[in-house]
Amino acid sequence: MEFSLSEEQIALQEMAREFLRERWPAERMRAALDAQPAVIDEEVWREIVQMGWLGVAASEELGGIGGDVTTAAVLAQEAGRGILAGPFESSLVAAIALERSGDRDLCRNLLADLIAGRTRVTLAIEEPGGGYGVDAVETVIEAHPEGWRISGRKFLVPDAEGAAVLLVAARSPDGLGLVPIDANSPGVTIVPMRRLDGQSCAEVVFERAACSGASLLPGGEAVLREVYEIWTTLLAADLLGTAEASLELARQYASERVQFGRPIGSFQAVSHRLADDLVGVEIGRSLLWGACLALDERRDHAPALVSAAKAWLSDTAVSAAESALQIHGGVGFTWEYDVHLHLRRARCNAALLGDADHHRDRVALHMQRAWMPPVKA
Amino acid sequence: MDLKFSAEDEAYRQRLRAWLKENLGRRPDPPPAASKDPLAGARDWPRRLHDAGYLGIAWPREYGGQEASFTQQVICVEEMARVRTPPLINTIGLSIIGPTLVQHGTEQQKKRFLLRILRADDLWCQGFSEPAAGSDLASLRCRAEIDGDEFVVNGQKVWTSLAPISDWIFMLVRTGPDAPKREGISYLLCDMKAPGISVRPLRNAAGGIHFSEVFFDDVHVPRENLVGELNAGWAIARSSLDHERSGLSGVIGLEETLGHLWRMAGRTTRDGREALDDSSTRRLLAQHWIAIEGLRHLGYRTLSDQIAGRPPGAGASLGKLFASELRQRLAKTALRVQGPFAPVAKRSPHVVDRGRWHAAYFDALGHAIGGGTSEIMRNVIAEKVLGLPRSTDE
Repeated sequence: MEFSLSEEQIALQEMAREFLRERWPAERMRAALDAQPAVIDEEVWREIVQMGWLGVAASEELGGIGGDVTTAAVLAQEAGRGILAGPFESSLVAAIALERSGDRDLCRNLLADLIAGRTRVTLAIEEPGGGYGVDAVETVIEAHPEGWRISGRKFLVPDAEGAAVLLVAARSPDGLGLVPIDANSPGVTIVPMRRLDGQSCAEVVFERAACSGASLLPGGEAVLREVYEIWTTLLAADLLGTAEASLELARQYASERVQFGRPIGSFQAVSHRLADDLVGVEIGRSLLWGACLALDERRDHAPALVSAAKAWLSDTAVSAAESALQIHGGVGFTWEYDVHLHLRRARCNAALLGDADHHRDRVALHMQRAWMPPVKA
Repeated sequence: MDLKFSAEDEAYRQRLRAWLKENLGRRPDPPPAASKDPLAGARDWPRRLHDAGYLGIAWPREYGGQEASFTQQVICVEEMARVRTPPLINTIGLSIIGPTLVQHGTEQQKKRFLLRILRADDLWCQGFSEPAAGSDLASLRCRAEIDGDEFVVNGQKVWTSLAPISDWIFMLVRTGPDAPKREGISYLLCDMKAPGISVRPLRNAAGGIHFSEVFFDDVHVPRENLVGELNAGWAIARSSLDHERSGLSGVIGLEETLGHLWRMAGRTTRDGREALDDSSTRRLLAQHWIAIEGLRHLGYRTLSDQIAGRPPGAGASLGKLFASELRQRLAKTALRVQGPFAPVAKRSPHVVDRGRWHAAYFDALGHAIGGGTSEIMRNVIAEKVLGLPRSTDE
């Protein structure tokens, strides 16, 4: 029984927090709101690669550092806290997807290149049909006189510009799964999109683009679903980081700002709101660790816990950032303060990979299975 | 990270399960014919538990405990909650004054009281709150003056649970009227049969009689019944309120309540369809499931910190606030799901689940007041965890 981060994970967390504080100023995200979407600079990217962050969840023989989902979540949480731009988190998830597929050739080549920073890979799962997740996938792989072709439309694909390979969720005659597509092949059109928080993403249109063989990544639908759960969990971790950062800003300001002759944090209208935000953060952290552990141990109830963490932290991160804005008063509503950067990130991530209601619906299905077993004839 | 119990702990769990299975169905032994104790039946269960080594398990062996590990304490609490063991009549003694005496009592007090608490020979009640000292407990006025080898107590306590059947009361009294308010309070143990004590039961908002007013009129308490030093009672009371619990026992009750609520919604027809088909209701229920899992995993964190000997994290202080508000949300959701059936009282046609949700609702409202109101909990979190400046003037 040890339900806390290990010493190694805490050390990694502290190192990441320090690194991002020094090397990734929030200024970069603010600037991105008026110009091109933010991307990590070459030099910082190289350092991230050298620290092995992209392979944090991959085994050592593949060039990773042999961590688990919990360790990956530690880094995603710090990325959220530090308002880090792409393509770190999308690359991390892509690396996990390649490793989970167990495809030896891909792991030896593409995954090794990804972890070493030589190639960029991202995932394309969500589609603009208004639904979420694997079940809403309509992109298809079909036979064609000259080989297999993929057709469909993906959107909110993170960091698609600059990616060499897209891991695309699609339906083939063999079923659902992920298929690697060369981003530069004919029939693939990448249309840049902008996120509310200045991060880079794109719509990707496939018009009978060539697939390398008909083959989905090994593991098919099971791996696709597992990867989606892991990605959702990492996004929940990012939201936890956002909530923590917002709460910390508000806590600090409420301790220092004096009105009516006393720090405003001594007024219960302020302090009780922050106490509620702290409750939200700590319940969220507990759910996140529960989800990570359930995924690492491949428990049956893992999807329900993943949904619990994502639903809870989607709400918590938004409300903590809104509290921070309110408690800062007028100054919190200025462009120069970082509060709105956290709020923007919270709003984006809360709505990606399933919003809170989507995940509550998934939890309700889990409850139904647990508490209303079918009546036996 | 793992949530596994050791093989030794799992074996402990299996033994406990087997014991509970064998003992739960058993009727209490009939009291000896000579006994006139109306509580004989209620005392039977804690005695059986203690005989089997499942009560006071964290207490030192020399005073009747087992010195069990944190994990075994959790297993005990979990397993008993799971099979819904009967309530323990000596629960205040077990959970508050017992641990306080283990920590702060004199050798003589430990020998005199602890085993009798475990055996339910003595039942205890708590005399902390007063009419003018609720959330601001340190402003309490009930006073004790030293007279030779005795204290003479005068004043009033209120919201005292189980006072009419209690043998003893542990109480906070003012012994240093001129000192700053927290530095003039002492912790006393007083025999409820002492002359000068009168008890007036109060009926609560739910209609039940659970707590009382207790009046002290020149009540003599021997000096040996002082716990800790004179005027040092405030810190002792704080430590007894802080006796860290992981909160995992409450989780099992909440989970069970949510299961009942889910099935109740499945049986309820609203606007011509099953209440569970309404997506806003489903999502509300799902949100309760999420909150319960959050509380459970927070409890695992607290337990894990205890096992590793780390200082208690934020978990323990957050747990009470979150659990009592969650309990309210569950009860309110139940009444909302019932719609037009919600006003129907127990023992009436069309009543839902024999009125259990009305009881649960009032009970939940009370939980956010007793043992520190939610507002005080938020003050504690803001000041102790977030480090915000104090909201009160002292």
